[in-house]
Formats: sequence, structure tokens, C-alpha cells
Amino acid sequence: MVYLSHLINHIFINQPYDHDHTAKQAKPLFLQKTMTLISEQLLVELKRNGADYFASVPCKLLGDLIDLLEHDSTITHVPATREEEGLGLCAGAFLGGQTPVLVMQNTGVGTIVTSLFSLALFYNLPITMIISHRGTPGEKIGTQVPMSNAVKPLLDVVGIPYFPFNHHRDVKKVGRLVQHAQVAQRPVAALLDFDFWRSES
Amino acid sequence: MSQYRRYELLQDLAPVMVDQALIVCNIGFPSQELYAIQDSPKNFYMLGSMGLSSSIGLGLAQTLAKKEAPQTVISIDGDGSVLMNLGTLSTIGNYAPSNYILLLVDNGAYGSTGDQPTHTSGKTDLAAIARAGGTAQVHVSHEAETVEVMKQCLSNAGPHVIVAKVSPGSPKLQPVPFDPGYIRDRFRFEIT
Repeated sequence: MVYLSHLINHIFINQPYDHDHTAKQAKPLFLQKTMTLISEQLLVELKRNGADYFASVPCKLLGDLIDLLEHDSTITHVPATREEEGLGLCAGAFLGGQTPVLVMQNTGVGTIVTSLFSLALFYNLPITMIISHRGTPGEKIGTQVPMSNAVKPLLDVVGIPYFPFNHHRDVKKVGRLVQHAQVAQRPVAALLDFDFWRSES
Repeated sequence: MSQYRRYELLQDLAPVMVDQALIVCNIGFPSQELYAIQDSPKNFYMLGSMGLSSSIGLGLAQTLAKKEAPQTVISIDGDGSVLMNLGTLSTIGNYAPSNYILLLVDNGAYGSTGDQPTHTSGKTDLAAIARAGGTAQVHVSHEAETVEVMKQCLSNAGPHVIVAKVSPGSPKLQPVPFDPGYIRDRFRFEIT
């Protein structure tokens, strides 16, 4: 399995996400299928629970999900230029009556804090945050680790409930998360680490 | 002659836009001024999150654009605040629907913090950035000209970006006295 984990790391970490699909085609089919399948399940669960507006800032781990969002005509998807902008878009979508989801990497938690306080929490806005948790085991890029360690304490300080997603079966929890945001009247976050995207049980 | 500031502009614009459109109003003095001139449940006053007025309005306009007779959304933003979220002009250029108007009140100053100059008082041209970001209908107007421009924008399909040039400075007013939950809920009841 050592060989397989190296291969997974190589594919998940070193392979650039590419909108023209050349990078994806370079992946062995079984891995491509795993990430795509989990992303599909994630989107199905989100939509089943009412999510219909998505703002996203890219991450390699979220590439397949963002690709699905881009091609899904039943929802609105806006690529945001940074996480704060995405939060503003989600706030507007909620005011208009939609159920918004912000898709982003955990590094963005560092730049979004002020607006989480003064917009999302101040106005009690239910926004589901799908956050890839980089810098967790499986990560190959050292600079991702410090922010990775700070994410949970930061969310604690801000007062955003978060839930680790570290097994692909956790995909089922995401629907309840959307509902929980409505009940809690505030943003709630899923932290999707590397293990979440693996197929082994 | 007395100076024509954002306050005078909002006074002139109120009869054509307040209660006619959903307005997302920028943090600080702009919200205080709009509230003092003409409050409406259709006004959403931002009390924080500087820079996000255009984004909140865009998300709202996109949501409403799916409906049969979409309400128009006006985001009132400023030069200093849009410079804090400059990527928004590219997102608007690519994704703004026809019921969206961004009113950039450009007074060349960070008014709410003591009129420190912004880069638009130097070489920076927000209208050029808006155009380069992909918005076709960008209008530049000075002082009271903006009223006619706004009328045109409200009766012609957008998206529109208006760069409204005014002088810096603001009257002394009180903060908007509402609880954020109240601003949120009464605004949401206006969504049809």
C-alpha cells in the first residue's frame, strides 16, 4: 500500500487542476472516478437539502466539485475572486431567498474572519461552508500546515460550528449541515481533509 | 457655490430610486445619509463588511433574476470600498444579470474615516477598470447629472455600472439606529 499512497499523493498534490481536463485524463481512471463520485454524492446531498446557490474559490481537492457546479444548470454557481467576496455573494443570495453554499480552501478562513463577524454573524446569515482542509496528513506542501493547524481555533474564536469530514461516508452528513445552518441562523462549516477523498473503507 | 457631495447626490437620487428598487447601501456615512434622507424597508443598510456592498447586491440580483418580473437591485458602493474588493468588478463583468446596477459614488476619499485620499483622487480610473472587468454599460457622471443617468439605467436593461463623481465630505449624522436582524427581516419581506 506504500506504493499506492505515494501514487495518491502524487496525483492529489502534484497534479495541477486543469479546466481543459488534460490533467484529469492523466489520472488513473479509478482515482479520477473516486473523487468525481464523492463530489457527485456531495452535490446530490447538498441539493437534496435545498442548496441552490454556490460561490466558490478554487482548491485542488475541490476541483471536481467545482467542475460539477459549473455544469449544473439547476443551480447558480459563481466563481468568486476571494473568499470574502464569496461570502458577500452568499449573503445576497440568502436575502433573495436562496440557500447559499460557500466552497473554499481552509487558507481562506484567515482572510474572511472580519466579514464572518460583521456580516454573516451580525445579520445571522445561514451559509453552509464547504472547506477543503489542506495541510492535513496527505499534504505535500509544507506551507499549508501552519494555517491548517489554525483553522479550528480560528473558527472557534469566530463562533462558527464546524464538522470534520474525514471519511467518504461522511458525505451523508452534509445535508444535515445545510439544515443546521438554517436552525443555527449562522454559517456552519464542513472541513474536508485528504482522507475524505479516499476510497478505502 | 456649495459643494455637491454624496449627501446632495443621495438627496437628488432618492425620489427616483428609494422604494423603486432594492438598495444595498455601503457601510458608514452612505448608510447614515440614505437613512436620514429616506428610510425604506427596501434599503439594506450594511453595518460592517466594508467592500462587500457590490457582492451582496450581485448575489441578490442573481437570485431575483430567475423570477418572472425581477426586481432591480442597486448596490451603492464607494471608491475606497470597491478598491478593497476590486475583484468584484471582474465578477460583475462576467456574472451580473440585467437587473443589477452598481452605483459607485466616487469622491476620491475614505469619507467615513476622515477623508483620507483614495487612489481615485490620483491616477486610478474606476470606470476604466469596470469596463476592463467586462461590463459593457459603464456610465460616468458628475454631480446632479447622475440623476438622469440613474433614470436611464432603471428603464433600460443592465447590468449597469455608474461612476458618480462628487466632492468629498459629509454632514454630521447619527448611526442607523436599527438592529441588524430588523434590517435583514424587513428587507427580506420586500422580496417578491
